[in-house]
Amino acid sequence: MTDVIATNQTILVVGGGISGMTAALEAAECGKNVVLVEKNPALGGRVSQLYRYFPKLCHPTCGLEINLRRLKQNPRIRVLTMAEVTAITGGEGDYSATVKLAPRYVNENCTACGECSKAVDAEVLDAFNYNLGKTKAAYLPHKMAYPQRYVLDPSIIGTADADKAKAACKYGAIDLDMKEETVQFKAGAVIWATGWKPYDAAKIQPYGYGRFSNVITSVEFERLADIHGPTKGKILRPSDGKEAKNIAFIQCAGSRDENHLRHCSRICCMASLKQTNYVREAYGDAGKSTIYYIDIRAIDRFEDFYQKVLKDPTVSFIKSKVAKVTQDEKSGDVILHGVNTEGYHRYATPHDLVVLAVGMEPSVTGANLPAEIVSDSSGFIEADPANHAFFGAGCASNPLDVNRAVQSATASALRAIQVVNRVARVEG
Amino acid sequence: MSEKYHNNFLKEVEEMVEEGEWVKMCMQCGVCAGSCPLGPHWAHPPQEIFMMIRAGKREEVLRSDSMWMCTSCYNCVVRCPRKLPITHIMHGLANYAHRLGLSPKNQPTQQFATLFWNNLAQTGRVNELKLSLGIYFKDGFAQGVKNAMAMQSVGLGMVKAKRLNPMELFGGHGVKDKTGFHAMLKKAKEIEDRRKNFA
Amino acid sequence: MADMKVAAYICQGCGLGDRLDTAALAGVAKKEGKAALVREHEFLCNAEGVKMIRDDIANEAVTHVMIGACSRRAKTEAFGFTDVAVSRANLREGVIWCQPETDEARETTQEMAEDYIRMGCAEVKKMTLPEGNPAAVTERSVLVVGGGVSGMTAALEASKAGYKVVLVEKFGALGGWAAKLHKRSPGKSPYAEPQDTPVADMDAAIAADTNIKVYLNAITSKTAGSPGQFEIEISTESGSTTTEKVGAIIQATGFSLYDANNLPELGYGKSANVVDQAGLEALAKAANGGVIKRPSDGGEVKTVVFVQCAGQRDDTGKHLPYCSGSCCSTSVKQAMYFKDANPDIDTVVIYTDLRMPGNGEDFYRSGQNKGVTFTKGKVSSVEAAGNQCKVNFHDLILNDQTAIDNADLVVLATGQVPNSGVDIDTKLKADIAAAAGDNSLLEAYNASQAEGAVQPISVLNLTYRQGPDVPQLKYGFTDSHFICFPYETRRTGIYSAGPVRRPMDMVQAMEDATGAAMKAIQAVENAGLGRAAHPRSGDLSFPKVRLEGCTQCKRCTVECPFGAIDEDEKRFPVFNESRCRRCGTCMGACPVRVISFENYSIDTVGSQLKAVDVPDEFSEKPRILILACENDAYPALDMAAMNRNVYSAYVRIIPVRCLGSVNTIWINDALSSGYDGVMMMGCKHGDDYQCHFVKGSELASYRMSKIGDTLKQMGLEEERVATFEVAITDIERVPQLINDYAAKIQEIGMSPLKGF
Repeated sequence: MTDVIATNQTILVVGGGISGMTAALEAAECGKNVVLVEKNPALGGRVSQLYRYFPKLCHPTCGLEINLRRLKQNPRIRVLTMAEVTAITGGEGDYSATVKLAPRYVNENCTACGECSKAVDAEVLDAFNYNLGKTKAAYLPHKMAYPQRYVLDPSIIGTADADKAKAACKYGAIDLDMKEETVQFKAGAVIWATGWKPYDAAKIQPYGYGRFSNVITSVEFERLADIHGPTKGKILRPSDGKEAKNIAFIQCAGSRDENHLRHCSRICCMASLKQTNYVREAYGDAGKSTIYYIDIRAIDRFEDFYQKVLKDPTVSFIKSKVAKVTQDEKSGDVILHGVNTEGYHRYATPHDLVVLAVGMEPSVTGANLPAEIVSDSSGFIEADPANHAFFGAGCASNPLDVNRAVQSATASALRAIQVVNRVARVEG
Repeated sequence: MSEKYHNNFLKEVEEMVEEGEWVKMCMQCGVCAGSCPLGPHWAHPPQEIFMMIRAGKREEVLRSDSMWMCTSCYNCVVRCPRKLPITHIMHGLANYAHRLGLSPKNQPTQQFATLFWNNLAQTGRVNELKLSLGIYFKDGFAQGVKNAMAMQSVGLGMVKAKRLNPMELFGGHGVKDKTGFHAMLKKAKEIEDRRKNFA
Repeated sequence: MADMKVAAYICQGCGLGDRLDTAALAGVAKKEGKAALVREHEFLCNAEGVKMIRDDIANEAVTHVMIGACSRRAKTEAFGFTDVAVSRANLREGVIWCQPETDEARETTQEMAEDYIRMGCAEVKKMTLPEGNPAAVTERSVLVVGGGVSGMTAALEASKAGYKVVLVEKFGALGGWAAKLHKRSPGKSPYAEPQDTPVADMDAAIAADTNIKVYLNAITSKTAGSPGQFEIEISTESGSTTTEKVGAIIQATGFSLYDANNLPELGYGKSANVVDQAGLEALAKAANGGVIKRPSDGGEVKTVVFVQCAGQRDDTGKHLPYCSGSCCSTSVKQAMYFKDANPDIDTVVIYTDLRMPGNGEDFYRSGQNKGVTFTKGKVSSVEAAGNQCKVNFHDLILNDQTAIDNADLVVLATGQVPNSGVDIDTKLKADIAAAAGDNSLLEAYNASQAEGAVQPISVLNLTYRQGPDVPQLKYGFTDSHFICFPYETRRTGIYSAGPVRRPMDMVQAMEDATGAAMKAIQAVENAGLGRAAHPRSGDLSFPKVRLEGCTQCKRCTVECPFGAIDEDEKRFPVFNESRCRRCGTCMGACPVRVISFENYSIDTVGSQLKAVDVPDEFSEKPRILILACENDAYPALDMAAMNRNVYSAYVRIIPVRCLGSVNTIWINDALSSGYDGVMMMGCKHGDDYQCHFVKGSELASYRMSKIGDTLKQMGLEEERVATFEVAITDIERVPQLINDYAAKIQEIGMSPLKGF
């Protein structure tokens, strides 16, 4: 049985991405006790699946390393992975949280030696790589996974593979009898940092995502460029593994669109500008990127980055919301149809690969929120007194870039501290 | 006279044109322009027309044949991220230009629409024979004969299949209560005129 | 302190027992490592193994523990002993996972492991358990400089958490820029209408808050001390001076509008009817919901044109190159002032990219719905003609060179210029160069300070050796350069918030100020406990200096990336522990090696590299020392090993806190003890630097560029020392770099200095 020791001076942080980790760390480094709940088997969230950040082009795993080191040496944070909050009751300064823990089938004896993975035959889709590849059914979610412990995919439980994995483990780390557990604990304040999910691109029917293999999303493109990704960092198109040198980026794929997401997702322009650098990095002058956009939203000093990309002769910009995408079955090329609205020029342009700059949908959408929470028309949690000590942080509260998500998370940590400090003053 | 980038013409469109109040909501993404199957035949795609309206280009817009090209496929409407009823606005603009007598002469869509409406409005039923002949002979007698001869086999086939009654040439069928029908049309026009301030 | 007793533990799990002769490793720990207690365990990180170590600490008076197992990055919970000094010999990722599993490789693999045991034992003996900062003092209040919305938010939020606040405002009332606004852009659903500013409510809340002490018409004329113990001199306009003690500082000094007088081509200064956004707010305030009047003659405004990006996003070098991020929304709001008063007024916004992210899209829609006309275009000029203006522009959609002839009012959306004080970096760079013997930058700097030249006015008036204000990132903004760590600051305990750190709107400024308040109270708490701030948060070690050996060379005081070290009257360094981030740059800088940390010193590293068994010249087994940044290069090496990427068995890797902490003595020692080469792996430096200690890797590369002479004196080829920029993702590149370097060393030949 997992026990969680918490009081109503504890801060519950839901979501272990960069926002949740930040909120948890900032509060803990201020001397507060925190329970950090993450749905996936490892911390890091969506930024750990990015290859590089804009505008510095540095690697998100670098910051993850620092945050993990802060976390590893801080005894005030209790991390629960494969955990989902199913209910929150009570009120400000006196919440009670119910958390469901899915079985990992691997206990803390795991040394991450990898023998179980070698032993099993079955493969499952690799969620870390947005299902672009497969991984063994006994797997470490990714190279920097924390906790550094393997996971058995539930699909092999009860099969010979599970027994093989168990037999391969010399350390008694595999526990095939693990069951789903439910734990309950107290919390004074709740920080909801469940982040975002990429808008379901298949819903944007004219762009052919799901029908055409060479139409992919911007988050998938990150995995193609990453050394830890399914192509080991090579930009190859899915249909035939050919080097994708001529790449189209379609902006506002879902965003700024009343048929899909009403809001602007803020990050997508910068993400595509950044991704043109991946093309240049891979193919030099032989690469070609075309950005189809409505407005380039390179806000504040990000403008520098936009200006730099504007000067890159391999990158062109077309002010147009693409009307339709088709794929040539023989060549595998994808053809973009539309009108350049600057002066009215019609185009039907073939590309090797199309990257849809998909919008940010709050992960709150569709989740069974355990309390009556005020959110805006897009489903982002608003800062509202009616939410009491339940605070949105990061992309659960607004479509934000990493920098701003971390600011938001830091602010949310203070709001939570204000509550637990009040509780502490009352309780002495 | 409408001034450049002043809202006179936009306001005129809002007041006088069916669904004209949507024009201001366009954000110039151009998805309508790219989605139109007739696109290559337009001098100005919808998004450009909307910008021209905002720029006060009254004459250019109303004298344009662009909005007459719309075939009501609704591709633009379903894709418009601002949910503008573009098809309706196009028809509204065409209609308005026609009422003002600014619409281009000899524009085929317009000619057909006029013939069709006049044909229908008489008896409440479309007289297909008269309608086709009207189209054949719109460019003069000689051309009409030529057109009719070219379509001869189709016509005869339709007669054989009882799809076309040659006797329709002499009157033809109509609705039972023609007076009521005309009264209805009159009322409808009144309502429409009132709604968009025509008088 | 109790007598030192070293215990060495050697794990046999994860294949270590199969691949290595652990008994031999135990022998090395005992004989060469001089460990008093040596134990092997088949599975050291499980509960039983950990209990064994704990029992030894409790019952055997073990004070120093060397663990030969996996990487120091793994199994941190199990081996996280806080009551003894701990070193780790990385036998798993560092040896068996990066070496081929073949019989031929067995010997070199074992040698590698034995060296790491020697190194681990040598290191731990030189470590002591950090005791925390004895000078720790806690003054728990927070100073907020700047009484605009950012500063007011920071003050109120810190107070709500139970902290006292001193709020200093230059002018006679709180509110700053926001107080000049008629309305603000909406910050909440449904994002449709301009809202009242929060100034009045916040002003009242501050007045009622006994935690907050406000100084109006006042400036911070002197800021001395360090986190937990700042002493602030506050001077008021009337000439009085007060001193306040605070624990942390938030600088929320906001922005000024870019001077529209620089834009005569846009008609500013030529017609009274061309105003900037502040000018329009003033007109709107005067009208107070009524009809806004034309400045030139009080006539009715029928047509107003908003020119976006006026003097912004400029690529000519004349104006602001950046986007201010808030002006699109401001212009929509201002256009609404007109439309709400009279829908018949024509309002045209001329923009190139409309930048209203998030729910700003709703506000944009609302503006359109009210009839504001948006035109994608570039304004070339504004001509004044009587009481009207002609706005010439290129309509980019209709591809028309065109004009709006009769604008009654033109509003220029000029950008935000930060009120950030003195740019200290020019002077600092000059000082660093001067310390290295190059005075040219310093002379140029001194010339720029000549009498009569206009100098920016300091905001904080810090008494720090490195200058009176916080360092600026770019364009005068005092932002952090780190994506993941926006509150990273080069002046510990001092945080920027609001538009002084980055151009932003009010919603963001309030969020930012709340975050800054969080960091400020955290700085206060940590200073009280003598703990380091980010990124080594929680580290209780701090630099100790043997002043008797100091030569007053000033390198530590000018090179410290965090301005932690001042100089006393005799020019000796004065360490301000609670400003220190424990990166060790001072230790790397010190030519006489008098600076050290309890758990990281010249000796902890020096003794490791000396502990390595260097085979003789004829062994054909070179030795290459790798000093790897623990933040990026070392994890990359670990992950390369997890992928079983093989690299040379001749390297010995020592993680360092930052390349900035690398003292050249280590390199000298390594080379003179017969190493054949030294590789240094640090983070990218330059404009897009990735060094977590800002300047560390840059300083290291600067220092190493000067090592050629030393090598020459030693009679060695210059290739024997090489510096590499390594990123955490370089899991394939790093092994390649190592192998290429090993091949090069093979080519150059063995070091002639072996065996001396």
